[in-house]
Amino acid sequence: MLFLQLLASGIQTGILYALTAAGFALIFGATRIFHVAHGATFIIAGYTYYELHQVGVWWPLATLAAFAMAIAFGVFMALYVYRPIQRSEGSFFTVFVAAFGASISVQSLVQYFFGRGSVMVSTPLTMAQETLPGLYLAPILAVSIVVAIIVFTCVHLFLDRRNAGLGLRALSESPGLLESFGLDSKRLTILAFVIGSALVVPAAIFTAVSIGIQPASGHRVMLISLAATIVGGIGSLRGAVLAGLVLGVIENLVITMVDTQWSEAVSFLVLFAFIMFRPNGLFGTAVKK
Amino acid sequence: MINYLFSILTLVMIYGIAASSLNVLVGYAGIFSVAHAIFFGIGAYAGAQFSLLVSSDILLSCLVGAATAGVFSLLLAIPALRVRGEYFVAAALGLQMVGVTVFSEAHALTGGHGGLVGIPPATLLGMDVSSPGLFLLVCAVMLAIILYLVRRLMRLSFGRALMSIRDNETAAESFGKNVPKLKTLAMFVGCAFAGVAGTLFAYNMMFVNVESFTFEQSILMLAMVVIGGVGTLSGPLIGAIVLLSLPALLSFIPFIPPTEIGTVQQFIYGALMTLLMIFRPSGIAGKL
Repeated sequence: MLFLQLLASGIQTGILYALTAAGFALIFGATRIFHVAHGATFIIAGYTYYELHQVGVWWPLATLAAFAMAIAFGVFMALYVYRPIQRSEGSFFTVFVAAFGASISVQSLVQYFFGRGSVMVSTPLTMAQETLPGLYLAPILAVSIVVAIIVFTCVHLFLDRRNAGLGLRALSESPGLLESFGLDSKRLTILAFVIGSALVVPAAIFTAVSIGIQPASGHRVMLISLAATIVGGIGSLRGAVLAGLVLGVIENLVITMVDTQWSEAVSFLVLFAFIMFRPNGLFGTAVKK
Repeated sequence: MINYLFSILTLVMIYGIAASSLNVLVGYAGIFSVAHAIFFGIGAYAGAQFSLLVSSDILLSCLVGAATAGVFSLLLAIPALRVRGEYFVAAALGLQMVGVTVFSEAHALTGGHGGLVGIPPATLLGMDVSSPGLFLLVCAVMLAIILYLVRRLMRLSFGRALMSIRDNETAAESFGKNVPKLKTLAMFVGCAFAGVAGTLFAYNMMFVNVESFTFEQSILMLAMVVIGGVGTLSGPLIGAIVLLSLPALLSFIPFIPPTEIGTVQQFIYGALMTLLMIFRPSGIAGKL
């Protein structure tokens, strides 16, 4: 039963990872921008929802506001941080440092106003019930599975069928060629940031509801998204989602074998192993040297 | 008051060494390590264990710290040779996260979360150098030696070859440079210097635990290098001075509650990193 219990919490964690990783992977895949401020988007969304919930705003409105804030931040980063750096042909590292600086600033601002500790939104959804003898499940697990399936189906349909989705995939392959076909690569970049940032919102809200969110969660989210993107294979959204899910499950299942303190390190060992032995990831195309 | 000034200056020297050592990797070799606090930590633990078990001579301890950190640099040299760019940063992040777990769980070597306590006062050739003034002098001399070494090394063919790899690896290789060897050596040198800084840090605090070697610390060191100026000799030192004097300066501003100084400092350096990358990517000391 312990195994099933851990598997259930692994799936719960894995869904959160999959959602955040999908956003990161989408942005990185389409624009080749290493958006490490993705974790900051996560805490912005989470704290917006929390604050509005505290003042008694109806939850769908709070959710909408969280979406608005997350998207606004993502687009802001794209327009005012990444674009000027790319215009002056800054290296990958310049982008990385700038994005990292931004996420540190956001984290410390949130910390200043809300404190270091973790905050939690309480709902009846997180009350665990004994579903099977010895197995306690909360309704939030079902809710997050359903939401994740809906979200991923929508994203998949959008990327596969719509013109803009095709454009995004083209953007990752050859921005120059895209321009010569009369598509606007700047607008597509913004689009990638809009979708990518929006994807993180459900994960942020689920985290705030189920385990609580704190300013330092941003770093963790960023690291996990990064790990899942690489393990899944850069450029593959499907890979990132699957890798996020797998990392979440592994992290919980290893508790049966090693001390809990090691469970987080296991994800990064997996990442390290992939980088060393299979840098293309699960579904990635060959890495360009 | 004078002791307070000494303690800040000592920290500036120590972090100056750490940032300069990171600059060898980031600025000269183009290896974007975000796990430098791990090597700083390995140096600190090795130096501390040496002082507890063998001798409190600061020179010998620094050598031990440097050698240990240098050997462990291979952990990061292997991915540095195999992948680059985003992949390397990710590998370094992985090493950083696993390293912190090892630091806090390997009780026999690191004392776990409690850390290593009771590090004896530093001596140099049998002389006690643990008073704030003398210790500051030791750190300053060490910083001067390391800055001199970095300057010498980067002017030799080693440094020039390294910079050519940073700027264009394929071109350097086609000119017959042994890229793997040069990169591994650069990693070794950079991490060994970080080990020296770590050992000095351990003696300075007389106590080490994992708190000082976290991801945030790696980023702080990176911020020093980037804000000061990547690939310049004085840049990392300038960065260390700017970032370490911030908390002291902020404490003079009346409307910031003392408990929030750390947060405000973080905000300022985060914002500085972003703004500098947009408007002046070469840093304070860099050429435009």
